[in-house]
Amino acid sequence: MDFISLLGLIITLAIDTAFSWVRMFAALAVSIVISIFVGIYAATHKYAEKIILPIVDILQTLPILAFFPFVIFIIVAAIPGSIGINLAVVFLIITSMIWNIIFGVYESIKVLPKEYGEISKLYGLSRIERFRKIYLPAVMPRVVEQSTLSWSIGLFYLVTSEIFSTGNSQYAVKTGIGAAIASPLITGSALAYGLALLVFIVFVIATRLLFFKPLEEYVVRYNRHTQQKPESRAISYAKVMGSFGSRIARRLNPQQLIRSSGSAKTAMKKRGARSVREEGGIATIEKYGTAIKYAAVALIILGIAYVFITNPALMGYEATVLRALVYTFARVWFAFAIALLIGVPVSVYLIFLTRHSSKYLLLFQILSSIPATILLPAIVAGLKGTPYHGEITAVIIFVLGGVWYIIFSTMNMAKTLSPSIPEVKGIYGVKGADAWKKIYIRAIIPGLITGGITAIAAEWNASIVAEYFTVGNNVAAQVGIGVGKLLDLSLSANNLTLMLLAVANITVMIILLNTFVWKKLYRSVSKMYG
Amino acid sequence: MKMVQAKNISYSFSPESVIIGDVSFDADKDEFVSLIGPSGCGKSTLLRIIAGLVKPTGGKTLYMGKKVDGPSSGMSFVFQDFALLPWLTNLDNVKIGCSMMKLSESEKEKKAEIMLDKMGLSGFERSYPNVLSGGMKQRVGIARALVSDPKVLLMDEPFSSLDELTAETLRSDIIYHLKNKNLPVNSVIMVTHNVEEAVELSDKLIILSKKPSHVAATKHIDLKRPRNKRSKEFLDIMDSVYATLAK
Repeated sequence: MDFISLLGLIITLAIDTAFSWVRMFAALAVSIVISIFVGIYAATHKYAEKIILPIVDILQTLPILAFFPFVIFIIVAAIPGSIGINLAVVFLIITSMIWNIIFGVYESIKVLPKEYGEISKLYGLSRIERFRKIYLPAVMPRVVEQSTLSWSIGLFYLVTSEIFSTGNSQYAVKTGIGAAIASPLITGSALAYGLALLVFIVFVIATRLLFFKPLEEYVVRYNRHTQQKPESRAISYAKVMGSFGSRIARRLNPQQLIRSSGSAKTAMKKRGARSVREEGGIATIEKYGTAIKYAAVALIILGIAYVFITNPALMGYEATVLRALVYTFARVWFAFAIALLIGVPVSVYLIFLTRHSSKYLLLFQILSSIPATILLPAIVAGLKGTPYHGEITAVIIFVLGGVWYIIFSTMNMAKTLSPSIPEVKGIYGVKGADAWKKIYIRAIIPGLITGGITAIAAEWNASIVAEYFTVGNNVAAQVGIGVGKLLDLSLSANNLTLMLLAVANITVMIILLNTFVWKKLYRSVSKMYG
Repeated sequence: MKMVQAKNISYSFSPESVIIGDVSFDADKDEFVSLIGPSGCGKSTLLRIIAGLVKPTGGKTLYMGKKVDGPSSGMSFVFQDFALLPWLTNLDNVKIGCSMMKLSESEKEKKAEIMLDKMGLSGFERSYPNVLSGGMKQRVGIARALVSDPKVLLMDEPFSSLDELTAETLRSDIIYHLKNKNLPVNSVIMVTHNVEEAVELSDKLIILSKKPSHVAATKHIDLKRPRNKRSKEFLDIMDSVYATLAK
């Protein structure tokens, strides 16, 4: 390739990525605006709180990407052409970004000293003044903090949905880095693909340095005491990544985590009575969340039952969906086991065995921003001709999609441990297998559980492209049977019924697993961890 | 006989931020030494240097005449925040203290049970630290430190996370065990910021200056035990310690 065409390729790729970034920023802006209003509303209205929190809470653990085929089908049917497709993509990214920002807003209002409310009453501030002078400045630091996390999650959705969309010319995104990566032009050449990855990573790093970093510095000026030393920036990122997990942990067992979380504890001392209100909010999720969850499951089951009774022919569809679900389930959990085999030693090394964990974290922060699905072409090319390469590709993507959550979540939970625990190990000379058995593994178990939930959700999300990856009009890699593949095929076949049935089955399965497996597991573990 | 000698210890993060300037002191056999000083003077770091947990920038520590290169079984440590492993039972936490000893599991268990009993915690062997009060947690922490029969006990503000009443009881228990030779411990080095506590417990008081710290004064306290905290002699010593600290 000569210099001119190389330059041309780089410029094209940069334009592609810029288009993708426009989608990302649009989604982020919408997410932030909605989150601020919904979060503040939920935090200041008792009845709204009881409805909004449990719903947000369920939505954030669903593998929403699985809904994408359905969403794109509906939106494009309503608004044909590229506007509809782009709206669908942006909508999807919003559904990945918005939940943690809402929780961030809600929590920052909940922990405001009640004196603030008294001030606004004493001085007769209007509703708008109260919003501008008290609520907005109060929520901004958490909004920015959560936005950096949302951005990383959003990138995964962006790339995955763009790649997915190219699988069907009717729904294809024209310009975007995900779309480019799945095009024959890029996948055909290692150089072009490498350049695409490079351009993407440059954009990721530039966004962090030029957008999020100044933004973080801008908002912390409100709260000087939360300002961090520069070297802890990477750790604070892990905190944010991990906070995704700890929020889930809080939901799993609210009081427990509030008590055990070190930072929460110190904050609590300062806040005194306010903590009671905070626990109240989480207890609300707990109480109403279970009810709403059961109601949702019951509703879906009733819906499915109704559909089956009125259309007995659908039983065949359901059998297909269930079979596909079983296959993907096996793949997801097999990949999760591998992710644990990688994630556990890495976490233990970072938490206990190295002094340079903040340096590694910086590297991991960049690596984890690269969505696993962007590596599909490389993996497919690398495995060409290998037996079962479709299956292996899917599992690799699942592992890469899940492993970061395990690492970041365990690191975050480890921070709630006494900082003297590594010293205990030194003083009493606990070594080798004993150290693994008595300290390392036990210390990271709570993080493994919260990380596990998010990791598995990420794997299900990846399934819609990992199980059925197309380049141009050719299928580059596919599994034998899988629910992700089923969703892809049902979209191509315009089979709305099959699509809906698959989505409903996934939803019920995830809610059941979260309620009956993860929650129980976390409860039994956290009993011990005071 | 000198159990521990700290010789010209210094510690700094960088040439600009020197925490410990130059500190030397000894702990003799049967001596209870307290290190006291303003916050930020590196008291806890100094104790960790003596324990072999932190490498000093300059100087060295000798334990029974030998240079300290890392944690040794002769010196044990009690932490301010107890540092119990929440996932292990109280008994298993104490057994952690035997890790360096060449004993069978059942022998370790026996030792740990005896030590928990000595600390007044029999009956709590199978429960977990989170059911214990702060004072009881620190008793487990102390049992863990003592189970390996250390000659030197290092304590980093061991009573400062406890409420005053609990701290009081625990202090008198500890000093009772130490002075009645119930324990194999020969010397204690304790870091504290509580002047009264230091005067009550210590045979020798090392008063550190603010950072970069050096030894501002050394006081030998030979009041009879148990000490009356309202006696004139006791209050006089406290006053003179405060006077040195205020300089």
